[in-house]
Amino acid sequence: MDWLTTTEQAFRLLLTGDPDLWAIILVSVKVSLLAMLIASPVAIAIGYLLATASFRGRQLLIQLNQGLLASPTVVVGLALYFLLSRQGVFGSLHLLFTRQAMILGQIIIALPVLVVFTLSAVQAADPRLRETTLSLGATRLRTALTTLAEVRFGVMAAVFSAFGRVVSEIGCSLMVGGNIAGFTRNIPTAIALETSKGEFAQGIALGFMLLAIALTVNFSLAFLQGEG
Amino acid sequence: MEEPLLVIDALRKQFGVRTVLNLENLALHAGQSYALTGDNGAGKTTLLRLIAGLETAELVRARYRGVDVDLNAYPERLRRDVIYVHQHPYLFRTSVEDNIGYGLRARGTPRREREAVVDEAVAWARVGHLLDAPVHKLSAGEKQRVALARARVLKPRLFLLDEPTANLDRESRQQTIELIRDLCNSDGVALIACHDPEIIQLPGIRRLHLQGGRIERDSSPPPLRRQSDDVESAEQLRHGQQWQRVVND
Repeated sequence: MDWLTTTEQAFRLLLTGDPDLWAIILVSVKVSLLAMLIASPVAIAIGYLLATASFRGRQLLIQLNQGLLASPTVVVGLALYFLLSRQGVFGSLHLLFTRQAMILGQIIIALPVLVVFTLSAVQAADPRLRETTLSLGATRLRTALTTLAEVRFGVMAAVFSAFGRVVSEIGCSLMVGGNIAGFTRNIPTAIALETSKGEFAQGIALGFMLLAIALTVNFSLAFLQGEG
Repeated sequence: MEEPLLVIDALRKQFGVRTVLNLENLALHAGQSYALTGDNGAGKTTLLRLIAGLETAELVRARYRGVDVDLNAYPERLRRDVIYVHQHPYLFRTSVEDNIGYGLRARGTPRREREAVVDEAVAWARVGHLLDAPVHKLSAGEKQRVALARARVLKPRLFLLDEPTANLDRESRQQTIELIRDLCNSDGVALIACHDPEIIQLPGIRRLHLQGGRIERDSSPPPLRRQSDDVESAEQLRHGQQWQRVVND
């Protein structure tokens, strides 16, 4: 195999706007961004509450999230497959092998990462921060927003990590998406398929795109969070 | 006699088996400021934090403007009227102006009004030259002045200041004392935990000494009635001149 020729072919595929290739890229971007958009606000709120509130079952929830950090994506996919398959509890929703199922899977994968990192960022915040907002008459909501803004670097680290995990995961997407061309085939599932077929050019092109997407999203978010 | 702003009829605070505070009949009168002195570990900060609702006590019976209040379940009314300033204040990592206007924004003060108040406070605290400076690069004295301005814009009835001049260099300390002197002459009550002799000797300030968890009998002269006009009492004038000399030195 000539790497140089293959890489050249890869770039030609990208630059000529090969429709199959761009369809795959679009699926990845849409699914992962949507999953992050849904998961982030919910998970950041949960992380903040776990860090600041005291209630029964708090420790259990923290341990559960910490445990789920290590859950293999293919196991998440497997569990979701059973729930969504025709005989499953949610079989009637007919979600198996759809993008919605992929989004659902990626939300489940992103949640513990976002929750645990936000929790640790908020817990590490200076205790005078909360006392100051309280003393200045801020409501609980304003205190929460101020705290999250103050620890934004930690929260953004949560978002970066979670996005990195979902955009590159293959196990869950393959299980519940089914790798259907033009519909649920995303970059990681496509790379695995193309490479196993010996189609290295497309694999390399997709690999570059995956890197580019991850870097672009992370740089944009880094720009948004501002200077320290 | 006029009803005191805050009366603590009884208060007991323990850390484990150690009783830090065991107070009775502490009254803070409107138009009066107090220097709370005592050795390190005497419970000065704890007392301020209890009054600010940032800590709870094993026993507390208090009246605020004649009405019974539970400081452990801190009432909204006190939250609006009482402000605690840390020894090392926390400034939000925004701008000096945003910091000063934070409480006003939290209270929903309209933007135009808020900006005017913040501008005035910036001038009062002499932090105009710091408006573009990153907040975390401010010196301890500058942070203290921003925090005092941030508290003052809310016009609280009770300022609780925790060692505001501790660990400040000479110049910062003088600038901070000047602001505190001004706060003591405002309508609000200031309760200032400190060791600083210059604060203790500010005109019209009363000394409360904490020892063994109790307030010792006040040895300072009786409170001066605040003058509503510009005429200062001889006592205030004398202290003022003394103070001025220190500033000029």
